[in-house]
Amino acid sequence: MNSLIRYSLAFIVLIALQLLIFNNIEFSGYINPYVYVMFILILPVAMPSWILLLLSFLAGFVIDLFSGTIGVHVFASVMAGFVRPWVLSLNVTGEASEPDMSPSAYRNGLRWFLIYSLTVVLVHHLALFYIELFTLRNFFHTLLRVLLSTAATTFFVVLFDFIRPRR
Amino acid sequence: MRSLLNFLLRYKTLILFLVLEAVALIMISSSHNYHQTVLYGAARNVSGFMGKGLARGTYYFRLRQVNEELVAENMSLRRRLEGLTSAPQDSFTAVRDTISGINYTYLNARVINNSVNKQKNFITLDRGSKHGVTNGMGVASSDGVVGVVVGVSRNYSVVMSLLNSEFRLSSSIARNDYFGSLAWDGTNYRYARLSEIPHHVSIAEGDTIVTSGYSAIFPPGLMVGALTGDQKRGGDFVSLKVLLSADFKKLTNVYLIGNLTREERNNLEEEVVQ
Repeated sequence: MNSLIRYSLAFIVLIALQLLIFNNIEFSGYINPYVYVMFILILPVAMPSWILLLLSFLAGFVIDLFSGTIGVHVFASVMAGFVRPWVLSLNVTGEASEPDMSPSAYRNGLRWFLIYSLTVVLVHHLALFYIELFTLRNFFHTLLRVLLSTAATTFFVVLFDFIRPRR
Repeated sequence: MRSLLNFLLRYKTLILFLVLEAVALIMISSSHNYHQTVLYGAARNVSGFMGKGLARGTYYFRLRQVNEELVAENMSLRRRLEGLTSAPQDSFTAVRDTISGINYTYLNARVINNSVNKQKNFITLDRGSKHGVTNGMGVASSDGVVGVVVGVSRNYSVVMSLLNSEFRLSSSIARNDYFGSLAWDGTNYRYARLSEIPHHVSIAEGDTIVTSGYSAIFPPGLMVGALTGDQKRGGDFVSLKVLLSADFKKLTNVYLIGNLTREERNNLEEEVVQ
């Protein structure tokens, strides 16, 4: 299938999941999963970083628009899109990767994918939660929210990775 | 020139990153006058529309709980009605003026968007200027105070939730009428703090906190919450932890409170104070 259509579909599905389901999930006010970050995670390995940044911006912007926050998701998503190439290069696997390959547990191994997702999601959530507060008041309380939410988001990302269609 | 071009090409990712983050920061800082932002005006209609569809879908699954709330409220209204009709008349009044005693009007509304996990939480209602909603109206559920209307469009209105770090509510301890200022500290959505209570006031765990009626937004005696017993001392005052009676996570039906004499009252107060 045309990869443009595939990734557009992934974009729409993840944004819809986020807005319709995950935005309404909170456990005791500490855990807010933001699974739309998965869109940034599964873009092709060889994608030029400037396109990656623009797509991250777009994803953040759409989420912002529909959840009534302005700019916070844009900020966090662009941050995640910026660190992704570095995290990818830090985690090189032995086997040679094809250029349009999408990172997944299936191809790269669960351990690799887990560490990769966890790192990018952590950066995204750190940026998101602190920029939303705009202060370091309640620093450790927020840090706890970040860590728990990161764990939850990563859990769902790995789960979705198992059930997403493969070529 | 050539080296400048080379520089730009080499660092194009970093530069793009910085530009995009700067755009995000400008968006964030311009959103501080929240309901005036043009972008938000557009987004409010879209997300209001979407929220309405979603609310309609999930509303069905909460019918049982909504019914129970309505029955409970009916019961309490019935009790009050009973008290009013069976009360002995203390004077001979031939003609009863049916308007003179009424200060507040109520309008029911449905919550179509809500959050409890931000520092500045807002609620969207399916009532707007078309239904007579204006800025500054109070909002309460059958359980207690919810917030104040801060933005109105034709079909929707946006309410600053009590769970908003900028919200202050003048409220008092029902048992002895001492009043203070209630605010949310941004941590747990079930609790708020009542401050400026003098420390000689006797308080007990479970004491009811109600609106004081000192602002023209809420009628006096509207339920806010109950004391938890946790208190902090500072100077001559204590601040008390209050368990909010409205559960913001299952807010469905609320009512808007309009004060018919608010303008008169505010005018008089301003006139005299100046």
